[in-house]
Amino acid sequence: MPVWKVAVALNLSFAVGLGLGYAGWGRRAEALDRDFEAARTQVERLERQQQACAAGARAGEQRWEGRGIVRAVYPQLLMITHEEIRGLLPARTTSFRPGATLLRESLRIGDPIRFALQGTGADDATLVAVAPW
Amino acid sequence: MRALLLTALWVHLGSSVLLVGTFFMPLLAGTSPAPTVRRWDATLLTWSRRLLLVVLGSGLVWLLARTSVFENRSAAALDPRAVWRAVLDTWPGFVWLARHGILLVLGAFLALAADTGQRRDWIAARAQALALATMALALLSASSHAAAIAPGTARAVAVDVVHVVATGLWLGALAPLALLLHAASGDEGADARPHAIRAARRFSRAALLAMLLLIASGVLNAAAQVETVGALVGTSHGRLLIAKLTLLAPILLIAAVNRTRVLPAVSTPRAMRRLAVFVGVEAGLGLTLLGLAAAMTLTTPARHAEAVWPFPFRISPELLDVPAARWRALIGSQLAVVGAVVLLASLLGRRRRGTLLAGALALIATGAGVGLMPLVVDAYPTTYRRPPVTYHASSIAAGMAVFQQQCAACHGAGATAPRVDLRARLTTARHAGELFWLVSHGVADRGMPGFETRLTETQRWNLINYIRALAAADGATTIGRQAELDRAWLAAPDFTVAVGPLAPGALRDYRGRRMVLLVVYTLPRSRGRMIELARTYNLLSTIGVEVIAVPTDSAPDAIRELGASPPVLFPVVTDGAADIVTTYGMLASGPHAEVLIDRQGYVRAIWRESGGGMPDAGAVQREVEQLNAEKSPPPFPDDHVH
Repeated sequence: MPVWKVAVALNLSFAVGLGLGYAGWGRRAEALDRDFEAARTQVERLERQQQACAAGARAGEQRWEGRGIVRAVYPQLLMITHEEIRGLLPARTTSFRPGATLLRESLRIGDPIRFALQGTGADDATLVAVAPW
Repeated sequence: MRALLLTALWVHLGSSVLLVGTFFMPLLAGTSPAPTVRRWDATLLTWSRRLLLVVLGSGLVWLLARTSVFENRSAAALDPRAVWRAVLDTWPGFVWLARHGILLVLGAFLALAADTGQRRDWIAARAQALALATMALALLSASSHAAAIAPGTARAVAVDVVHVVATGLWLGALAPLALLLHAASGDEGADARPHAIRAARRFSRAALLAMLLLIASGVLNAAAQVETVGALVGTSHGRLLIAKLTLLAPILLIAAVNRTRVLPAVSTPRAMRRLAVFVGVEAGLGLTLLGLAAAMTLTTPARHAEAVWPFPFRISPELLDVPAARWRALIGSQLAVVGAVVLLASLLGRRRRGTLLAGALALIATGAGVGLMPLVVDAYPTTYRRPPVTYHASSIAAGMAVFQQQCAACHGAGATAPRVDLRARLTTARHAGELFWLVSHGVADRGMPGFETRLTETQRWNLINYIRALAAADGATTIGRQAELDRAWLAAPDFTVAVGPLAPGALRDYRGRRMVLLVVYTLPRSRGRMIELARTYNLLSTIGVEVIAVPTDSAPDAIRELGASPPVLFPVVTDGAADIVTTYGMLASGPHAEVLIDRQGYVRAIWRESGGGMPDAGAVQREVEQLNAEKSPPPFPDDHVH
């Protein structure tokens, strides 16, 4: 085989090998990343559902835990500046609806607290437990 | 082990560069039926096979030596697991693997011993080998200092690739060219002379282009990795660069002589031999230069290293603010420009060249003397040292406490005592590193003692941050209730935003995202204003302003004290408030003050109680809208003083 054909074949194999390798490997790595992220989210959701079940929840409900500082106390609303609530909200100030059984009387503005939320999502999360931080 | 690492890298770099040249030079020269040229071509092919073995061998030694340096134990070089980790678990190892894979393919290609009798086959064989050798050389950039530059990694690596490849094409081709010229200059090589002359002329043009690329990419590399004159002169990496440039000067001189004097008269065998010797010397110097490049690869880049300024003086451009210095600099620069014009005339003209040259040099020297002397200030080893302590409220407040304890007796409580006024231009024009030296070692002729043994290093840097804040506070008196557009100059000292036990944030976290209205307040005096802010917080938040409240009494239950109605939802600093109050109190003192900090991190407006009271939401909104309309926001301020 003439050398020029060898050179062309070599470059073509380089290009094709690199292209296929990158495409195949890159796509596989991306797919694995997605699968891993989905599995992790699923595990976290199941853990929250398990916690909620233990507290007598309805189907589909989850339970989240967070830490924060009480900023305002109203009869039907509690405003809390909180850290990130994993799987629900980033760190910010949010108003939450207190559950019927929650004892609000002891809460004062400025109190650092640990709290638990229960519901099916951010719009439906109810404050079900509060303890001093 | 580091000596072995350096030697291996030097050999690897040199042989890789020569490998590129052994394929580039024949391609550049073209084919010829002359037997001497064919012998030269065959010799180069034999060279290339041996060089490839040297490249692979030195590459292996380099990997083993680097493994032992990574693991910080000599035995790691011969530990297969350690070498395995170095290759597969590190980015340089991965690049090493890719490069050596390409070199093995090149080895297989060279081992084919194919028939290259046809011109097309010969060109294909040399071009393919050149492409593989160049690819292996260029990939060195992927694990060089350039690859560690962020942001802008791709650009830095691309510039480095240009630098490395240009080196390979220019420097690598010198030795094969010298060999051809040497062969053609002898009696038995007379048949190769036309080919050698053509090759030398083509190389001359290619080398000029390669040299221009080398200089341009070298300047960009230096700008990215050295950054300052202090780093250039005061670090090992910078000094190696200076040595490299010093060595480049005779190389360029030889190249210029070759191009302008020797090459035009190369038709005679004697001239051809002389050119061969000159090119050989150029190649030898070039390989020494690669040794310096290898050493630079193994030293910390200048911009990250601690610079130790070696001279007792430096030029301070900051002193151009002083009118007398500015005038002298102007006159001196004009004299130097006239000198440069005369110098050009002396180089271009043919009559009275000596007189003109002497006059030009005298004018340039006089200009430099007149213009630069007023800008010369004392300098110290720490002149270009970067402060390890950031420009932070806690550091400034700590520096203030040290100042009151150790310095106020002489400098005055406000640091404005005559002769030792720390707000004077001569002090503010000083580098932070110079102040650090003066604080550490004292000023004997002024009776100032050194504090090196009395204060810790952190305390001395805190003091310098405080001195910088003093000067800033002096200038801040011109900042009022309305922001001056396109004039951001006062960097807001960073501070920690700690609200109860929540994870603390910092002022700099808001950079590029939101403006900050910093409210320093005192209850009960500020009660009305805080209620107003609580009511308008939604509006301010919507237009991109975060309100951060800091109580002057540093009360731990500050949130509760602000009351329940209306609810206060903005961050109220409950920890470290005293430092913020102290620091920002230098800009706006009083029981209540508000400071508007733009998205870039600069103080843009200050509302003081003594200066017309506090703004309403509408006033803040107007300032925010104006600042949003600024056409060219300044870059983020540095986190350290200079």
